[in-house]
Amino acid sequence: MQETFWQKRLRDVAAVLVVGIFMFPLFWWALTSFKPTSAIFDKDGIVWFNFKPTLVNYQVTMLGKSRAELAIESGNTFGVGGASSYDSRQTIIDSLIVAVGATALTVLLAVLASYALSRMRFYGRQAYLNWILSQRFMPPIAIIVPVVFMFHYMSLLDTRLGLIIVDTLINLPIAVLLMKSFYDDVPVDVDEAAMIDGASRLQIFWRVVLPMVKGGVAATAVLCFIFSWTEFLLSLFLTNSIRTLPVKITTFVTSTGSEWGFIAALGTTAVIPSFIFILLVQKQLVRGLTLGSLKE
Amino acid sequence: MVSNQVPSLAVDVPVSETPRRRAWPRFLTSEHPFPWLAPITALILAFGVYPLLYALWLSFFKRNPVTRLNVFNPTWNWGKLFADDRVWGAIGHTYLYTVTALSIELCLGLAIALLLDSDRKGYGLLRALMTLPLVVPPAVTGMMFLLMLDGSFGVISTGLVSLGLWPPQHPILASGSTALLGVLLADIWQWTPFMVLIMLAGLRALPKEPFEAAAIDGATTSQAFFRLTLPMLSKIIALAVLIRGVDLFRIYDYVKVMTDSGPGTATETLTSYAGTIYFKNADFPYASTISLFTLLLVIITSSLFIKLFKVRF
Repeated sequence: MQETFWQKRLRDVAAVLVVGIFMFPLFWWALTSFKPTSAIFDKDGIVWFNFKPTLVNYQVTMLGKSRAELAIESGNTFGVGGASSYDSRQTIIDSLIVAVGATALTVLLAVLASYALSRMRFYGRQAYLNWILSQRFMPPIAIIVPVVFMFHYMSLLDTRLGLIIVDTLINLPIAVLLMKSFYDDVPVDVDEAAMIDGASRLQIFWRVVLPMVKGGVAATAVLCFIFSWTEFLLSLFLTNSIRTLPVKITTFVTSTGSEWGFIAALGTTAVIPSFIFILLVQKQLVRGLTLGSLKE
Repeated sequence: MVSNQVPSLAVDVPVSETPRRRAWPRFLTSEHPFPWLAPITALILAFGVYPLLYALWLSFFKRNPVTRLNVFNPTWNWGKLFADDRVWGAIGHTYLYTVTALSIELCLGLAIALLLDSDRKGYGLLRALMTLPLVVPPAVTGMMFLLMLDGSFGVISTGLVSLGLWPPQHPILASGSTALLGVLLADIWQWTPFMVLIMLAGLRALPKEPFEAAAIDGATTSQAFFRLTLPMLSKIIALAVLIRGVDLFRIYDYVKVMTDSGPGTATETLTSYAGTIYFKNADFPYASTISLFTLLLVIITSSLFIKLFKVRF
């Protein structure tokens, strides 16, 4: 089934076309973030490239300038208004703290638990694994009302720690599954050799096995980071003053109109860290995503 | 699926040959699974299992909207649920959404994976680019498509209109009959890459020999696909459908951001209805009841699927 020359070219064209279609929304989004309001809403039609690029949207969301200031600087008073609530610097810091915290906690717990699940034989192991995985099937909305009450009593409502805890809970099942499949790839002989040398389990885990699954830990961490970074429903219910990025961005849609320029600027900024991370761990992730289902 | 099976921690670990003096009881040492599993179990019990039981308990209370007190009345919310037309509408939307999105994403994902499964130069980059939509926060994706599907300023909607593919008097998201389609579009854009990733991993792991043998026997490309590739991928396809299906069933972000369940209740799903009850009516017991009902449907549907297709983790 060798491809002929023209079949190859056909595949090339189709592949580029398909990927291009999927990239278009990202491209359009980035383009919008550099447009002035007048180019986003042009009554004569869609503006592609015939606009004067501006950094106003980034200055407002990332540097906390108010639009009145910018208007005075540029002498253009079109569309002046809007308070400093578009300043998103605190949001980004909060989102980072929550995502990094949840990632650290998830990876710590998952690395420990999946080691035991991969290496130790104990009664009810499969049932226990299924129980952890079953947490993934639970819609977060099913527990959100009681969690709000619980957090209220524990003073965790509207705190970063509270978000870290629930994000960890949501991420754990997939992290355990991923880490277990990476551990399973390390032959048990390695453990046994160390055991004969008199190492304890903890030593084996820390000195021998963990260094061998470093790539897997990185892939798991990236996945957890992305999940926490993009999480929407939980932060919507559990926070009020602390806003993570996805929630903050939806507040830019107001009853008096949506600030599409700011939305696009913040949205573009929001995806950049994840893009970098996912490209870094591409290989491990593809392997991990099959979750060991390819093994017989 | 959310069972309350507490694992027995009886252990059968090979113990090292040299006997050591132990200051700690055995189940607290690293030779025993207990210390490894205790933290994660505690966290899940405290913030996963306990809230679930709490939600069940809460669903047995009737909220008095005037006094704002919850009165014990075990059948009130569940009776209300089954008589609530909006719940049945939401179930319809949820299943319609899940099944449509799942079939489109699966077929597209498989097709694109086959297309990109080539070792020639540049395909690695294309595959990497293909994963990018996955990491965009769903709420941002929703906003993106909200702008692009806008009736007068959206690039997709005006593009479709000018190509004559869409009647201009029906803005996609603002018409009750097509709003769900708009939300689906965002979902498909974001999650088809997930299917592509999984299918690619599956394709890469396939053994080469059967295909070589088939080629020698003169099999056509389509024969090789339907007789070899598809059956060998069936296991991973079933797993992907399960994972994606469960996620689709609890769709919230896109609906909340793009249409807020509207116009009217045209895109109201079970999760978004529960959210509405929570935020707008502050009827927490009823919101809990709807959420639990959603969970129940997820469990029933996914167990049926697991039984039917014999999915194994």
